[in-house]
Order: sequence, then structure tokens, then C-alpha cells
Amino acid sequence: MVVVAAIDCLNSSRPGNSILEALNATADGQSGIESGIEDLKNLLHCHFDRLSSESLAVLTKAALALPDILPGLESNNASFNKDPGKIRSSTPARLSLRVLTTAALALPGLMLPAVQAADNAGIDPGHGSVKTHDNSLHSESRLSLLEGGGFSFKYGHYQEFGAPKSLFRDKRNDIRVDSLQVDGNLSLSNRLTLRAGFIQDTWSGATPLTTAPAATVKRNPNAETGASAFLDLTNGLVQFDPDKGVGTTINPSNPQTIEFVETNEIVQVMAEASPETRKQGDLRFEYDWDKATGYFGGGISKEDDYESRYVNLGGSMDFNRKSTTLNLGLSYTNSNIDATRFRFRATSVPVDPRNEPNPAFPDYSTSVHETRRDYSANLGLTQVLDQDSILNASVTYIHNWGYLSNPYKESTFFARLDPASFPGQSLLFTRYDRRPEDRDLLTVRTGIVRYIDLLNASLHFDYSFFHDSWGIDAHTFDLAWGQPLGGGWIITPNVRYYSQSAARFYNPFFGSTRAPLSFNEFQAAIRGDSSLLITPDFFTSDHRLSGFGALSGGLTLKKTFERGIGFEAGFEIYTHRGGWKLGGKGTGRFADFDFWQAFAGLNVDLAAFGKAVATSGHGGHGGHSGNAPAGILFSHVLENAGEFMVGYRYMYGRRAGDTLAGSRPAGDLFIVNNGCEVRACQLTAETMNMHMLNIMYAPTDWMNLMLMPQFMDMNMSLRQLAGAPPPAADANGGHFHTAGSAGHATSGVGDTGLFSMFRLFRSPDHQLLLGLGVTAPTGAVNITIEGMEVNRNDPHFGQPLLIHYGMQLGSGTWDFVPSLTYLGQLDQWAWGAQLNSVVRLQDKNSSGFAFGDEFQATAWGSYSPLDWLSMSLRGIYTVQGSVRGRYNGASPNSAPVDFPANYGGRFWDLGMGLNATLPSGPLAGNSIGFEWVQPLVTDVNGFQLDREGSLFLNWSVTF
Amino acid sequence: MKQMDKAWFLSLFVILIVTTACSTVEAWERGHLAKPHMALDPNPMHSASRGHIYAAREAASSGGSAKGGGCGCY
Repeated sequence: MVVVAAIDCLNSSRPGNSILEALNATADGQSGIESGIEDLKNLLHCHFDRLSSESLAVLTKAALALPDILPGLESNNASFNKDPGKIRSSTPARLSLRVLTTAALALPGLMLPAVQAADNAGIDPGHGSVKTHDNSLHSESRLSLLEGGGFSFKYGHYQEFGAPKSLFRDKRNDIRVDSLQVDGNLSLSNRLTLRAGFIQDTWSGATPLTTAPAATVKRNPNAETGASAFLDLTNGLVQFDPDKGVGTTINPSNPQTIEFVETNEIVQVMAEASPETRKQGDLRFEYDWDKATGYFGGGISKEDDYESRYVNLGGSMDFNRKSTTLNLGLSYTNSNIDATRFRFRATSVPVDPRNEPNPAFPDYSTSVHETRRDYSANLGLTQVLDQDSILNASVTYIHNWGYLSNPYKESTFFARLDPASFPGQSLLFTRYDRRPEDRDLLTVRTGIVRYIDLLNASLHFDYSFFHDSWGIDAHTFDLAWGQPLGGGWIITPNVRYYSQSAARFYNPFFGSTRAPLSFNEFQAAIRGDSSLLITPDFFTSDHRLSGFGALSGGLTLKKTFERGIGFEAGFEIYTHRGGWKLGGKGTGRFADFDFWQAFAGLNVDLAAFGKAVATSGHGGHGGHSGNAPAGILFSHVLENAGEFMVGYRYMYGRRAGDTLAGSRPAGDLFIVNNGCEVRACQLTAETMNMHMLNIMYAPTDWMNLMLMPQFMDMNMSLRQLAGAPPPAADANGGHFHTAGSAGHATSGVGDTGLFSMFRLFRSPDHQLLLGLGVTAPTGAVNITIEGMEVNRNDPHFGQPLLIHYGMQLGSGTWDFVPSLTYLGQLDQWAWGAQLNSVVRLQDKNSSGFAFGDEFQATAWGSYSPLDWLSMSLRGIYTVQGSVRGRYNGASPNSAPVDFPANYGGRFWDLGMGLNATLPSGPLAGNSIGFEWVQPLVTDVNGFQLDREGSLFLNWSVTF
Repeated sequence: MKQMDKAWFLSLFVILIVTTACSTVEAWERGHLAKPHMALDPNPMHSASRGHIYAAREAASSGGSAKGGGCGCY
């Protein structure tokens, strides 16, 4: 099969043909192996430059498959690595061929995909025979356009911790980010590849707003700041001397007595934000010529407050018999910043969009509408130095233009005051971060990769120098050790050190350079004469522009399984310290923090899968289980013991439109009067995206095990109900939405399913399946939003507010999930029915509630007009109980969704679906399904939004 | 600006040294270089997420062409 595929790739006009002939001759034993090798060497030598990466990949596969067609040759290549002289004497053919061809791939820029492909072919000894698959070469494929493809899925988590303890600061850095990434690629021809990617990050937690002397901050016990309990800046007169940097403050450890202490401590002023999600999608076309590659792509990244569109263009070219590769990349990014600032500033000065701007605060603005452009050019060089080393160097120039400030951060300023009128005091004011509108950045990077023969390991060292027009110089040292462990495992520990100097205009806080203000000038200044409050042209207190050093270390583990599956996981811990800057003089320890990040990913080469499926005779699965609609789980069992299935399911659901009371639409005023416990009342529209990975294994032919991790992503938007009184600050849990507010989003790991499937009965046309399993409460049920409980009489006073029940990522309880499924088929017709249920095994979760139990009955029929395509129609009845218990912490009460009674109901739906199973071609054995579920009858408990429908997408492959 | 010039000079120097000092390594002598852990970026998944996090936490850009990434304002 391998060689046959090669003939397809290498048409007669290319030198690969003659190489292929030589290879075939060798494989057939027509000529002596030794002479075959010599021929190959010569040919490869002659035409090396003209081979495309595809041809090389194919050759490599052929070489790696060779042990199977030359029986009797040893398969241990360790001896070869240690002693090249041994090649000829011990296992000449196999080793030389292997070297010959895999070696050709060790070319900068070509290397990775080709070698991976080769690995996949090489690891799988069952499909290496050249002869047996000759005929499959010319078999017609219905989807012959698609030459192959791949798919990867990654989940990552980032978590900050380790901020310095201070009596003046009770909120620590605790930003966390969950990110989900899905990438796919499709070979449109053997030279043209299309890549598409999707990334989603959700972040939440507390972030620094500004930095200030501890003497000038106070605890802010009420929610006027719009943030959870954090220390607030006092506005106006403060006991602080900006020249000495020392102030007096009431002793924070004993605030009941009036006892002043001197302090020169600096603290970060923190603010907690509601969860926010960024989504990014991109597309890229890549084309391979014999000695060059090119790409063109673009994408879009969207957040509530920031939208970027970008295009990039580039390529690489090989010289010196593929010893040298030059890379060039150009890109352009256009971003729109549309930020709605925190409702209150660090100085507690109200910034309320419903009010007129306050003239006393000259850069007063509640929102930012700005643009930014980034231009980047990158020139790189990769050079094969010798048999064991590759050198890599690049220069990148970036120009930023436009709004480069951070819209949320502020700097703290102190105006000197006449000591006669204000002994020991100064005037505190803040201004939003202001940076220059231009920035030039230059990065020079050089690295070396060296093979360590003794341990079959690789050493990677990279150094980069960075310089920009804001006065920042940075150095990065990165060291990694790649160590294969055998069995397809590679472990890579790494260490990184980073150091940067501060931007010219960075300071934790600023003293005014103006002469001290007299009493009259002070009066004028606080009435709004901003000409008296002088600031530099540019300033920032964002610690990312301060001087610091950072040390991090981590580990990556990678395993390549049979048939094109790769698994990768990694962990890293990072420590940011002002004192670790190269050469010292970094910023103080107030900005220190640590983070850890971890990720796990799965790589699937669909073409390798398809081949494995086709050759092992499982290609035409179809039959019983292939035709169940995409929205149905637990309808598929593997046919034979030892089989694996990998699948990916996606579900989209949306609720919007009328609010129902029972099954009838309810008017706004009716909801205001009956649906909310307090006066302020809002409504939501909600969408949910669910990604599920489905891994199934059959230890016996009557029982299957399933592992199903889930990734959730939900968002909601709100509107004020007509007739609802305006929200009062103390009546709605300190959380309300202003006009134009973008709502909320949550995302991250959901609950994890652990299921078993049993085949109770089987005849040629009928089978009965029993599913038993549980879902483990791995999804969060304690996600909070901006704001806190402001009612002093409430036992949860001061606590952050829990987002409503339906936006939490999991159930928080262990749930029992049974199902019973019947499947039948006759000719082109198939049908089935299923009963399934979710029973909560606990009365309440750690947040004090449990979702209601669910029960569902569904029946369907499907028809296959073609042997690879089927259409389905099904009916669904679902009943779900309301939420039991209620939050044991502070929660908002501004919308029906905040109340447990407004969950669950009785629902009738109609599903319409399409299923396809690719019968042949490189992607044979892959199944895809699609189903739209349309609500017919909705009868909700209490008050709930109407349903708009759900979409299910399903892909799976068995091997 | 002086440092900028220095950086350009340094990079040119590196490129010159590299391109003149090497002889060709033949195809069949690249067995070691072909190993997966000898790739310039053996863990591209990991590198991408690290790069995104560093860009949100450090002032220096990592170089390379734009791959999106958004604001990273947190």
C-alpha cells in the first residue's frame, strides 16, 4: 500500500519515479539489496533538491515498512545509531533504507509532519506489506478530493497564586484561565493543505487596577467599587509625603484604636471581574513546491471588549541541498477596543454611565472606543550544521500603532500641598493608563538543537534579545531536553529564565513635579481645575511594564500510539520576582506572583486511521449502530473485543424569545409581579455549547467501557423588563446590568462521564443494549460574578455573588445515568427507541443545591438512500425536575433564573438528522452525524425562557 | 536607537557566520536529525499555549508572525 501510494504522489515527470522503481526493485528482491541501496543513494543524491515533502514522506513510510517485506532482518536499530559502520555488516538493507529516507526528512521546515506520518506508518507493523494492497491503489474513492486530514483537541488551565501577603490588601492574584483548542487540517491535494483552528479562553479572578502606597489605601466595605472586597484608594487629602515615600496610616492590625503607624509599603489595588470569554477562529492555506512552501491565512479573535482581525502571509525556501532554509513571515492585525470600564474608579469616584460626566475628573470616561494596528515582519534562517546539530536564527520587527494603553488600569498621583496649610498631607488623584501611540519592537532570536548520541536525546537551547522604543530590554533563555523513553514516549523537561527592564514611563505611583498647591489652588483643583493636577505625557503602573525577572520550569510528556494517535500533556510553574531582574534594580515585591499551567491534548491523523480501518477489515461498520441520530448517546457498541472508538460530539442549544409561565408566554409586567422575589427583574437569552470527547473500549464483545470528558461554554445576555422599577443599589445583591452591558460567559471543564454498555440481546436485525454509568462532578458549581452581597443584614454580606444555577459548569453531584436502547434494521430501513435518565445521587452539592432528575423517552426511524448516507426522524419526550435546595452563599436575585423553582419542565421535540460513513478513500471508517432538534411543546416550571432548539454534531472513528 | 542598531548588526553577523561555515550534510547522514525530538519545535501544542501566556504577562513579544491572541488584558 505504501509504495503504491507513492506512485500516486510521484508522477512520471519527477525524479521520485526512478527512486520508486529502485525501491520497488529492492523490495521485490529483483536486484541485490546492496545494489538497490546504492541506486537509491545515487538517485536521492542527484534529485534531493527536487523532491517535495510529500514524496519524501512517502519514501520514508516505504522505508519504515520495509522490515515486513524483508523478513529475517533484525528490527533493532539501536545498534545502528551507535555505530554507523555496523550498518553494512549487520542489517544493511533495512538500516540504510531507513536512514536514506527518514534522513531526507530531517530538513528544516519539512521535518515535522512528514516524520510524524512516517512514525505512524512505522509503528504499525501490520500494514507494511507492499504487495497485498497493490489493488487498493487504483480503487475509486467517492471522496477522492480529500487526500487526508488530521484533527487535534487540547485543553489547558492557567492559575495564578503566590501574591505577597499584606495587611493592606486582602485580595490576592487569583486569575484563572480555561482554554479549549480544536484544530483540523485537510489535504485538498497532495500539495495543498487547508488548516482551520478554533480557540476559546475563559478567564476570571482578581486583577490589579493600580498600585499605591499602603498609607493611602483603605478597606472598602461596601460594594460601591463594583468589585469584591478589596482595598480601595482614599480620594483627596492623604497623610503621605511623595518625596520621602512614607505615610502614616491607622494601624491596620488594630483598627479599633486611633494609633498611627508609618509605612512605606506599596500595594496593588485589586478588582474582581466577572468571567469573560475570548473566541478565536482562523483559516490557513498551505502549498508545497519542491523547494519551497508558502502559506496565506487569517483569523478573528473576539472578546466583549476587544476584537482583532488578522492576516498573515509567508513561506520558506530551501538552499544548499536542503541544508539551509529561509523563512519569511508578514502579518497585519487590526483591533477594535470597545471597553466598558469598571463602574467605579480606584479612587471611589463614581463613574456611572447614567450620569453626566463629572468635570472634576478630566479623563472621566466610562467606555473606550479605540483602534490599534500591528504590523510584523519576521525573517528566519534554519541551518543544518552537521549530522547532529541544527541552528535556528530569526529577526522579528513589529510596529504597533494606536491605542496601546490598558483601558482598565490607572496610575496614582500625588500633588504636593502647601505645608503651612496641609502639614504632612498631599492630594491623591488617579488617571487612566496612558502610553505612547507608537511602539517599535525588535526581537533577535537564536537557538540550537543538538543530538546527544549517548542517550539518544536532544538538547534545545534558545536565547532571544528584545528591545523596544519604550525603553524595555528583555532577555529570554530557554533550555529543553528531549528524552525518548521507548514505546513511543518522549519526555521533555525545560527551564526558562526571562528578565526585562522597565518602560521609561513606568512607576508604581507618581509624585507631581509642580510646586506645592496653595490652599486656594487646592480648592480650585478639587472643584475640577485639572490644569493644577499635572501628569507626565505618558505613564503606566501596569506591572507588566515594570522591571522584573521570571524563572519557570516544566515537563512535557508525549506518546505516539498506533494508527496515528498522539497524546501530549504538560505542566509548568512560573515565578515572577521584581528582585530577579538581570542586573538588579527591579520593581518592589508588591507585584510578585506565581502561576502554574497545565494542558493535555490529543492528535488524530484521520488518514492513518482510515487506512488502519480499511486494512483491518472494519471499514464498513454501518449496519446496526451507524444510523442512530447524532443526538443519541449510548446507541453504539463496538463489535469485537479489543476495539477502540474515538469520537467527538458537539452540542449547541439556545433559549431566547418569550418568557413562558408554564406553557404560555408571559408579559413583562406579569413576570415583574409574580416571577421575581424582589422588584428589580431582568431577563436573559442563553446559549450553550458543549464539547464532548468520547473514548470507548471493548474489553469483551458483550461489554464496552466509555470515558466522556465534557467541556462547557455558556453565555447569557440580559435586558431590563418593561415595567420593572429601576434597580436600587441595595436591593439586587449589588449586581445589576446597565444598558448595553454584554452579559456573562462561563466556560471550562464540565462533568466527566464513566459509563459501561452491555449487549443484552442480539439477532441479525435486532439488538437490545443496557447502559449503566455515572457522571463525576468535575465541573465547577461555585462560579461567581462581579459584585458582592451589599445587604448588611444578610449572613453572606461581603461575599461574591454566585452566577445563576444554569450557568454553572456541572451538576456538582454524582449522578447515576442508566439507559435502555433497542435497535432494529431491515434493508435500507433502521429504527430504534431509547429510555434514559439522570438521577442525582446526592441531595445537594458543595454550593447547596442539586439539579432535578431527568427522564427521557425517544424513538426514531432512518432510511439510507445510499449505502454511506442515512436520514433520520425522531420524537423526544423529556421531563426534568426543578432545582432542589438553594445556594448556600450570596447570589443575585435579579432575574427568574436566580430562583430554584424556575428550572425544569416537560418538553416534546422533533429531531431531523443526517449520518454519513465514509466507505473508502484515505478517510474510510470515519462517521459524521448531524441532527437538529426542534422544540414542539414546552411546559416549564415557573418562569423560563422559551427554547429555540438544539444542534448536535458527532464524529467518530473505530479502529 | 543605538541598541537597535546593535541588534541588527548582531543578527547579520550570526547569519553570515552560519551560512559560510557549513558544508552539506548528505541525505542519508540525517538519521539523527530526523528524530521527532530533534524538531525545532517538538511540542507545538505546548509552545502555542506558553507563548500566549507569556505574551499576556511579559512585555517582550516572542517574535514570529501574528497568530491572533486578543487583548490578554487580565
